[in-house]
Amino acid sequence: MLLSGVDRNRRLLTAAAGFLLAAVMGLVLIIGFRLATQIRGNVGTLQRASELETYPSVVSQQLTALRERLDTLEYTGHVHAELAESVRGFDRDFAALEREHDLDPAAMHAATALWHSYTPVLTPVLAYHGEPYSDTATNSSLSRSGRVFYAHVRRAELFAQANAAALHRQLAAVSASLQARTAAAASRLRWLLSGGVLAVLLLGLAAAYLQLARARGERAAREAQEQTRDILATVREGFFLLDADYRIGAVWSKALTHMFGRENFAGLSFEELLRDKVPPETLATATKFIKLLWGERAHENLMKSINPLGQLEVSMDNGRGGKETRYLQFDFHRVTGPKGVKHVLCAVGDITSSVLLSRELHEAQENAHSQLDMMVSMLHSDPLQIGTFLDSASAGLKHINAILKEPARSHAEFSKKLAGLARELHAMKGEASALNLMSIAQRVHHLEDMVAQLKGRSELTGNDFLPMVLKLDELLAHLRGVREMTLRLTALRDNAPSPEATLSTPALRIGSSGPEELAATLHSLARKLAQDHGKEFSLTVNGLADCPRSYLSTVKDCLIQMLRNSAVHGIETNEVRRAGSKAAGGQVRVDFRRAGAGYELLFEDDGAGLSPETLKEAAVRKNIITAEQAAQLDNRAALALIFKPGFSTRSEVSMDAGRGTGMDVVAKAVYGLGGKIGVSTNPGRFTRFKIALPAASETAVA
Amino acid sequence: METAKDTSARRPVKLLIVDDSNIVRRRIERSQQFDDLEVVGTAANGIEALELARRTDPDLVTMDLTMPQMDGIECITQLVKLKPEVRILVISALSDKATAVEAMERGANGFLDKPFTDRQLNEAIAELMY
Repeated sequence: MLLSGVDRNRRLLTAAAGFLLAAVMGLVLIIGFRLATQIRGNVGTLQRASELETYPSVVSQQLTALRERLDTLEYTGHVHAELAESVRGFDRDFAALEREHDLDPAAMHAATALWHSYTPVLTPVLAYHGEPYSDTATNSSLSRSGRVFYAHVRRAELFAQANAAALHRQLAAVSASLQARTAAAASRLRWLLSGGVLAVLLLGLAAAYLQLARARGERAAREAQEQTRDILATVREGFFLLDADYRIGAVWSKALTHMFGRENFAGLSFEELLRDKVPPETLATATKFIKLLWGERAHENLMKSINPLGQLEVSMDNGRGGKETRYLQFDFHRVTGPKGVKHVLCAVGDITSSVLLSRELHEAQENAHSQLDMMVSMLHSDPLQIGTFLDSASAGLKHINAILKEPARSHAEFSKKLAGLARELHAMKGEASALNLMSIAQRVHHLEDMVAQLKGRSELTGNDFLPMVLKLDELLAHLRGVREMTLRLTALRDNAPSPEATLSTPALRIGSSGPEELAATLHSLARKLAQDHGKEFSLTVNGLADCPRSYLSTVKDCLIQMLRNSAVHGIETNEVRRAGSKAAGGQVRVDFRRAGAGYELLFEDDGAGLSPETLKEAAVRKNIITAEQAAQLDNRAALALIFKPGFSTRSEVSMDAGRGTGMDVVAKAVYGLGGKIGVSTNPGRFTRFKIALPAASETAVA
Repeated sequence: METAKDTSARRPVKLLIVDDSNIVRRRIERSQQFDDLEVVGTAANGIEALELARRTDPDLVTMDLTMPQMDGIECITQLVKLKPEVRILVISALSDKATAVEAMERGANGFLDKPFTDRQLNEAIAELMY
C-alpha cells in the first residue's frame, strides 16, 4: 500500500506529541523535586527560627530569675546552668541559621549585631564560678564575689530587658522572610503541578486525536483495499500490471483466472502467460511489442495502432480434455512515474462472443446479399439460360461424384483425381459467374479452396475427401433451390405479360439461343468483372453469328476464361494506365471469322501484356519447369507456359482468376476440337490469343 | 496557418519519400500541406532510399514496407544506423501487425495505415515533426 503524504505527516505529529509529553513530564518532575527539597529545608529552618525567637525572652526571664534568687539568697546553681544552656543553645541554633542562604539579609544582619552586643554583658555572668553567699550561723549575706556577680546579673538583666524585644523582632523578621519564601516555593510548586497537569492533559488530548485520526485513516485504507479487492474480483476484464521485467505484479483481477485457466499469476512473465496458447510467431511478436512499450518512442496512440494483440486467438483447454478457441483483446496503458514508465497496465477482455457474433452477422449479410443478387440476376437472365446452366451443373456434379468414387491409392492417382475435380469446379464457377449466380459461384469457390488445400498435402487418403462430399451435397441442395426459384419466376413472368415477354417467348428463345445469347452473356460478365475488380474497359464482340452451333459451347468456355484473365491480369487500373500514358478505359476485342475452310477466333486486350521473365519465374515457382529449363526457354516458349496445366501468375486467389486452372483448360478444349491456340504479346501494350478451329460438320446458324 | 507561422523561423524539414508505387509517391508529395517541408527525394526501393538519404540528409522519411530489392524493414534498420536522428513514418497497410511491430523495433517513429486521407497524412507528419 502506498504511504500518502497526509499519513506521513500524521505519524510525525504523533511522534512529536509523544516526545513533548515525555519532556514536559520530566521537566515538571525535576523542578517539582527541587522545589519540594527546598520547601523541606525551609521547614526545618523555619522551626529553628521559631525556636530562636523564644530565646531572648527566655534569657531575659532566666536573668530575672537569677537576680531574684540572689535577692532572696536562694540557690542559684541550677538557674545559672539553665542560662548557660540557653545561651549555648542560642549560639548553636543561630550559627545554624546563619548558614542558611536565602534569609532576609537585613534582619539577619541586625539580629547578629544585636546578639553579639549581648556577649559583653552575658560573658561575666556565665563566667562566674564562685560562692555568691557568705553564711554565718544566724544570717546569710552576699559574699564579696556575690556582690560583683549580682551587679553583673543586674546589668545583664537590664540589658536583656531592654533588647529582648528588638532581638525578637529581628528574629521574627527573619522567620517571616523564610516563611514568605517557603510559601512562594509552595505556590510555585502548585503552579508547576497545575501547569504540568494541564500540559499533560493537552498533549494527551492531542495524542488521542492523532491516534483517532490514524485509526480512521487505517480504516479508510482497509476499506479502500477491500473495495479494490471487490472490484478486482467482480470486474469482467482481466487487469494486471507488468513491471520492467515484463512480469505480472502481485495483484490481478479474478477474470484472468477464467481466461487463462490458472490461479496464480504473481511473477509470471507475459511470455509464460501466452505460451502454448498462441502460435510461436504471434508470441514472438507480442513479446517484442511488450518490450517496445517501455521505449521512448512508444506513444499510446502509436502503440494502439500497431497492437498485435487487439484480437488474439487463443486455444484453451475447455476442461473436458479438448481445446477451445477464444478471442482475447489486450489493451495496454503505460503508467509513468518520475523516472519514466513504471508499469504497464494490461486490460484483457474476452471478446469471443462479439467476434463470433460479428462473423455470424457478416455471413448472414453475405448470404442475404448473395440471395438477393441471385434473385436480381435471375430476373435479368433468360430462364432458359439458367436452366441450361443448371443442367450442365448437375452433369458436372455427377461427373465430380464419379471422380470421387474412382478408386485411388497412389499419390499420383490422388493428384489426378484432384486435377479432375479442380477442372470441373472451375468450369462450373465460370459459368455461374457469367450468369451472375454468385451464391452458386461462391459455393463452388469454397469447394475449389478445399481441393487446393488437399493439393498442398504430401499424403492423402480417401477420408480427406469426406468434407468435400458434405459440401457437394449442400451445393446440390442449393442448385435444387435455384431451380425451384427459376420455375417460380418463369411462372411469374408468364402470368404478367410485358412487351418483352411477348417478344421473347420461350419458343422463340430456343430457336435463337446461341451466338446472340453468348454475346449478351459476355457483355454482362464484362460489366461484372469490371465492377468487381475496379477496372474500366469496353468489350467489342464481332462475328459470333458465324460460330457453328457445335463449337458454341467450347467457344463460350474459352471466351469466359480469357475475358476473366484479361479483367484480372491484363487490363490495368486507370491510375496505372495514365501513368503509362495509355488511354483510360481498356479495350477488349473478340473477333470470330471464317478462315479458309475453318474458323479463327481472335481475343485481344490492350492491357499490361505478358512478361516472359515473369512467366518463367512463376513456372519455376510452381515446379512446372526447373530453373535450368527456364534459362533455356526463348520468349515464344516462355509465353507457351501459360497453356501448361497448373500455371498461374497470381499468388493470391480470387473468385475470377489465380487458381492455376484457366488457359490450360482453354487449350485442352481447343485441342479437343482439333484446333490450335497461339499467343502473342507486347509487354505494356497488348495480349492477343489466336485460336484456329477446323471446319465444322454442321453449318452456322445465321 | 498557425503551424506555418510558428515554424517559419526554422530551417525547412527535409522529407524523403520511399514507396515502390509512383502513384503513392506523387500522392504524398502533393498532399502534404506544410510550407516549410521540402521534398528532397523520392525512392522506389530500399537501396535507392539509402543512397538518397546519404546524399540529401533528410529529417523525415516516409517508408513503405513491401518493396522490391530491399524491403522497408531492412531499409529502416540501415537508415537508423546511417542517420540515428532521422524520423521514420511507416506508410503501409497495417493489417500485418507483426511487420508493424518489427518496424517499430527497428526504429520507426510513426505509422500511417494505407489507404489514408490527406488529413491523416498531414496529421501523422505534424505529430512526428512539430
